[in-house]
Amino acid sequence: MDKLRHVGDGDLGAMTSAGYAAQIEKLCGEHHRALLAFLQCRLNSLADAQEVAQEAYVRLLTLECPERVGDLRAYLFRTASNLAIDHLRMRQVRDRVAAEADLAEAPTAPPSDRQAIAIEQLHGIREALRELPAKTSRAFVQHVIEGRDFGVIARTMKLSERMTRYHVTRALAHCRARMDEPEMER
Amino acid sequence: MTRAEPYKNEAVLQTAADWWARLRDPEVSDEVMQQWLEWVYADTRHLDAFEQVTDLGHRLGTLDDVTRRSFLGEFTQTPATLRPRPRFSLSMAAGLAAGLILIGYMTWNWMAPGVKQQVYASAVAENREITLPDGTRVALGGASRLATRFSKSQRQVELSAGEAFFQVVHDTEKPFVVTAGPLTIRDVGTAFDVRRTGGRVTIAVTEGRVHVEGNVGATGSSQRSSIDAVAGQLVSYDPAAPAFTVGSVTAEQATAWRSDRLEFNNEPLGVVVANINRYSSRQIRIADAHLEALTFTGVIKTDAIDRWLGALPQVLPLRVSQTPGEVTLSEAKGTQLR
Repeated sequence: MDKLRHVGDGDLGAMTSAGYAAQIEKLCGEHHRALLAFLQCRLNSLADAQEVAQEAYVRLLTLECPERVGDLRAYLFRTASNLAIDHLRMRQVRDRVAAEADLAEAPTAPPSDRQAIAIEQLHGIREALRELPAKTSRAFVQHVIEGRDFGVIARTMKLSERMTRYHVTRALAHCRARMDEPEMER
Repeated sequence: MTRAEPYKNEAVLQTAADWWARLRDPEVSDEVMQQWLEWVYADTRHLDAFEQVTDLGHRLGTLDDVTRRSFLGEFTQTPATLRPRPRFSLSMAAGLAAGLILIGYMTWNWMAPGVKQQVYASAVAENREITLPDGTRVALGGASRLATRFSKSQRQVELSAGEAFFQVVHDTEKPFVVTAGPLTIRDVGTAFDVRRTGGRVTIAVTEGRVHVEGNVGATGSSQRSSIDAVAGQLVSYDPAAPAFTVGSVTAEQATAWRSDRLEFNNEPLGVVVANINRYSSRQIRIADAHLEALTFTGVIKTDAIDRWLGALPQVLPLRVSQTPGEVTLSEAKGTQLR
């Protein structure tokens, strides 16, 4: 009797863990695209986003007490967000070491996985930025192209951080919207 | 999965860009992430738009050095260093030192010999301090525009939009004259504020005396009218009214906007909203024209416009609906307004 019970327990355990793995797989499949977009936004690199997403999935699969986690989706994104912070910290350390080793190299050197952008598109973006108030395009270029923080830009431009953010996001939306237009109109 | 059609609506892209900025904050809260996920899954186009802005941000963040520098060169230099400099004078040097370098938009040209013309403009939510070549100090409010034309015999200033506070250096040889729409305001050594909201103009005198002149009364029957106002007086001009209205105002009230507070005393909502819009990242629109005539009295902090909007339906019979790009004020259902 004792023996049978043990076998039963073991089976049950195995089934639960297989069931959990399937559940996680389903969850990750459903949210993969959103998670990648989220991480790319945080990390500014698709390769890093993929790496961190994989790590987040592994973390979720190897969770000690998954039943204690109420909302697995929220947990997945929280884990990924924390991993992204670690990742950025590591990148900063790497940049600093590289900068110290070779002072000629700019510490803000863009990540290695540079994504090409077509000449015509760059031209369109330049045009789109010229249509905006000088302040808006200036804040945008400083944040997105130069890589300065909102806080730093706010101080140099004597704006609130909220207004800085507004200028940057407005220009980003405007440039992206203008990228779609030529095909429509011409 | 086939790639969705690029989503052409700038409003969705704007919301996507707002999320992009919020999520990049390293200390983003679980709550914000949850709200973002809810937004993402509310409409399939939302994630498309988010991916598009993120992708663009990423590409522009990893430009090659040459392209990067050319963008920085064109867009991050201040206009004053970009434009060819006019002849340098001592007063200009003082002006530049006083922060003129940051003037958002500035042009110089030489109309006639001895006539200097200059345009100053400010962006939404931006107050500027300007020192004119004669030493007169001007505080320019948000989304305002001022053109100066100084000749040997006169100092002419035109306020074509918004609000400005003038502290005039008196010079009997060269009167200082501000035009605002149909009005001309002539100083007699003084400090005063001029606010222009479309055709309506208010002049608040904080020091000395001004002479205000303009066509008053409905078009057709209008006649030239003038009034002298002294410190503490507020002159209002409304194109629809038969005469100037004179009220009282303290110096603190007249220049409250310089400390990021907009004060309104029994003013039509249309005027209030037009002035708030000079400080609001999201433009406020009045959907039902008759709401414009409702009057409002109160103080609005320019960094708390949202809070004011939230409380407005308790004060006035209207409804506030908000989208990321715009705020609409419309008639509250079930209310009769006449």
